[in-house]
Amino acid sequence: MDKHRGSKRTLVIGLVLAVVFDTAGQLLWKFIAETLPSTAALWPTVDAMLRQPLILVLVGIFLCQLMNWLKVLEHADLSYAQPITSLSYVSVCAFSAHLFGEHIGPAKAAGILCIFSGVWLVSQSKPLGDSGSRK
Amino acid sequence: MSVTLVGVLLVIVSSVIEGFGQVCLKQSSIASTGKYRWIVLGVSLFIFEALFYTGALQRLDISTAYPLGALSFVSVTLFSRWMLNETVDRGRWIGLTLIVCGAALVVAQP
Repeated sequence: MDKHRGSKRTLVIGLVLAVVFDTAGQLLWKFIAETLPSTAALWPTVDAMLRQPLILVLVGIFLCQLMNWLKVLEHADLSYAQPITSLSYVSVCAFSAHLFGEHIGPAKAAGILCIFSGVWLVSQSKPLGDSGSRK
Repeated sequence: MSVTLVGVLLVIVSSVIEGFGQVCLKQSSIASTGKYRWIVLGVSLFIFEALFYTGALQRLDISTAYPLGALSFVSVTLFSRWMLNETVDRGRWIGLTLIVCGAALVVAQP
């Protein structure tokens, strides 16, 4: 019983951390993309990315996200855990308006609300299905 | 082809790659042997996806590109069902439909 409760707590903490890492990573990624030269060529873009010092911070955030994510997947099915992290769709858009001055019009706001509702529905299932309980 | 359309296409391609990459990570957690092979494949796919997504971020607002990335739910669910035999109930299918409609609304006013 205690083991089950501890596992659930670990899962909840892991999912919250996943949203935080997602939001921070996406906002920094957009900031870095803004500093890159506007070219369709692949190599100049990769080269400019590698010369951008902030890319190390971004990689650090994604490494933390990966370690956390692997831990989450030990406790839940992928098709359960992955949708929950999409709460960051709301947080990223909220911060984008403040940090980058992006305009969130009615259609986009309705779209985000629609995605949020979809996520809520998708999340209404148990963490481990048949494939998970087989391990 | 407009800059916005190229950006949207880049997000769609990166979403499909993410779907397969996520399944690889889940495989690493359930495989009895070759766990690290799945992790290496998954991480390699994410690096590939990152290049496409960076291209999209250069062309689109983050408040457009990131919600569009929700299309990865469709690919994750299809790959999870196909490769991991995970159960997908009707509620989840309805949720995915809402997400696709939401993505369409976001594209309508990028």
